[in-house]
Amino acid sequence: MSEYGIEVRGISREFGTFRALSDVSLTVRRGEIYGLLGPNGSGKSTLIRILCGLLAPTGGEAFVDGLPVRSASEAIRARIGYVPQKFSLYEDMTVRENLDFFSSVYRLKGVRRKERIDWAIQLTNLGPYVDRLAGQLSGGWKQRLSVAAAIMHQPRVLFLDEPTAGIDPVARRDLWNLLFTLAGEGVTLVVTTHYMDEAERCGTVGYLYLSRMLAQGRPAELTRRDDVTPAGMRRLEVECGEGAAAVMGRARALPYVDDVTIFGNAVHLLVDSGVQAEVIDRALADVTNGGVRIRPITASLEDVFVRLTKLQAAAAAGGTK
Amino acid sequence: MTGFLSVLRKEAIQMLRDRATLKFAMAVPIFQLIVFGTIDTNVKHVPTAVFDNSRTAESRALLNDFQSTGTFDIARQVGSRAELRQQIVSGRAQVGVEIPPDYTRRKLEGRPADYLVLIDGSDSNISSQTLAAANGIALSRSLEGKAMSHQPFPTILFNPDSRSANLLLPGLVGILLMFSGTMLASFSIVRERERGTLEQLLVTPVSPIAVVLGKLLPYLALGFGLLLTSLLVMTAVFRVPVHGSWPLLIALATVYLFALLALGLLVSSRARTQMEAMQRTQGFLLPSVFLSGYVFPLASLPVPLQWVSKVIPATHFIAISRGIVLRGATLADLWPHVAALLGLSTLLVLGSTRAFRKTVS
Repeated sequence: MSEYGIEVRGISREFGTFRALSDVSLTVRRGEIYGLLGPNGSGKSTLIRILCGLLAPTGGEAFVDGLPVRSASEAIRARIGYVPQKFSLYEDMTVRENLDFFSSVYRLKGVRRKERIDWAIQLTNLGPYVDRLAGQLSGGWKQRLSVAAAIMHQPRVLFLDEPTAGIDPVARRDLWNLLFTLAGEGVTLVVTTHYMDEAERCGTVGYLYLSRMLAQGRPAELTRRDDVTPAGMRRLEVECGEGAAAVMGRARALPYVDDVTIFGNAVHLLVDSGVQAEVIDRALADVTNGGVRIRPITASLEDVFVRLTKLQAAAAAGGTK
Repeated sequence: MTGFLSVLRKEAIQMLRDRATLKFAMAVPIFQLIVFGTIDTNVKHVPTAVFDNSRTAESRALLNDFQSTGTFDIARQVGSRAELRQQIVSGRAQVGVEIPPDYTRRKLEGRPADYLVLIDGSDSNISSQTLAAANGIALSRSLEGKAMSHQPFPTILFNPDSRSANLLLPGLVGILLMFSGTMLASFSIVRERERGTLEQLLVTPVSPIAVVLGKLLPYLALGFGLLLTSLLVMTAVFRVPVHGSWPLLIALATVYLFALLALGLLVSSRARTQMEAMQRTQGFLLPSVFLSGYVFPLASLPVPLQWVSKVIPATHFIAISRGIVLRGATLADLWPHVAALLGLSTLLVLGSTRAFRKTVS
């Protein structure tokens, strides 16, 4: 058995003349959580749909649980679970009826079927809601139901497309605990997300941009990449209270500042290493009144993706910055 | 066939829970059957205006003949031919009778006693039936007890009283089944596509044929219920006797239902939205009503349209239904229609499965 839950080798997908995925490769070890990031339209959902066998690739090959997606999509379907971005269970059926239905299409029978349904209900705490119509559940509970329906047959690989979009922080935390539990049992997980804190919980993250895999690796590796904080530059955080927007505007105009991002009441700067904090403090004094706290920081995952996106855009435009 | 029973059960749950659709599919057709069943296509009580220039006992006797056929209903007397014409133009009367001043004198002299009958030709059914009735009056007046030199003895078989219900209902059952069955099935797949549930279903190991059949059967059961109810209404409420074999009628109606549902599924597999499915179904249903022989006799269609009518399932079912109900026809009598219906059903079921397979991949 392959040590990888998922292996993608140079997958491409075209829709007419539009390239949705371009030569994407990645590997996910069994029991690992892979975080797939990227702006809307970058190809995340297309990649997941290919791996689920819903869409054929136009180039390359991918293996899910050791099986090739091109020729074994039926066998793959029995071994995977898929939680789509939009709630896709039957709203006019109860929680139990939905679970009954999906357990039966996954060929679970008799005592074992009952056991697996009960297990999924217990794991997702859906117990009090079993007789409720799925359409009447709130977003967080719908998401738990989707997960429950996707794991009863003990899939080897589980795909979740933005599972935490639009649900509250408590439900989000619970869902991630559930994902860690499944990963601990050896299930390979692929999760797409826009949340950086979620990306940091993944074993490996990949960043898709304009249908290409721009970067991938462990979160800690990515934040130390040379092209994220180039030689001769460093990252500083400026705490500036209410006026962060004004500070950003001012900082952008400084010749030794390469990049500016707002984080709440602070601004993150990418500056030439030689420039001292006091110099920056003085330069910003007319918008901060001076004396603000400035401290060196390491790049965050968001910094990584913002930076890489900019570099890519500049390269595409023929720039050299 | 993986997942067939699961899909079947799921569809049954959803169908029974969707009260609005159930009502639409069951109650509406039965209601329509009852309302349309009361329509009498035999022309009676046609409003008639009279311009009587003669005003004699003879002319009144003639008008009395008109009234007593039951076809004409003398509504008003007018004073001029222009007024008579105006009555028809305005729609207040559909027939005008003008009796000339010399009507009685000519009649007594044994000369042809002419009178004018104006008929509104804007409704061909009314004009042909009133024309026949007016000719009948003239014929019987002319003979006045003498024998005709040539005399036919027309005998109308199977529906001797020309009861409209007998003619209308066996066909109407087919039309109503077509509307309900095709419409219901045309939503089945596209509804899942629109709600996003189809994608979830397709990542499971369920097979396409299991989805198609699992969706078809609950609707087949519903259609069957509708069929039995409408046949019951036809025989019990409207007293239309079934002269042929009940089991044959029901068996062939089931084949017809298969064709209708498969057609709906075919539309559903191709449509992107429920609205699109609805429009496509409508585009098919209306021509089916007109070209199936339900409204116009097939013989009155131009030849190319007659060919079109042969690929419409309703054409064959209406022929079968009228044959069994009215004429007591047997399988041996009806086999060309039965063969056509079976062929169309098979093609449509295969076609819808294929179309669904295509949407899957």
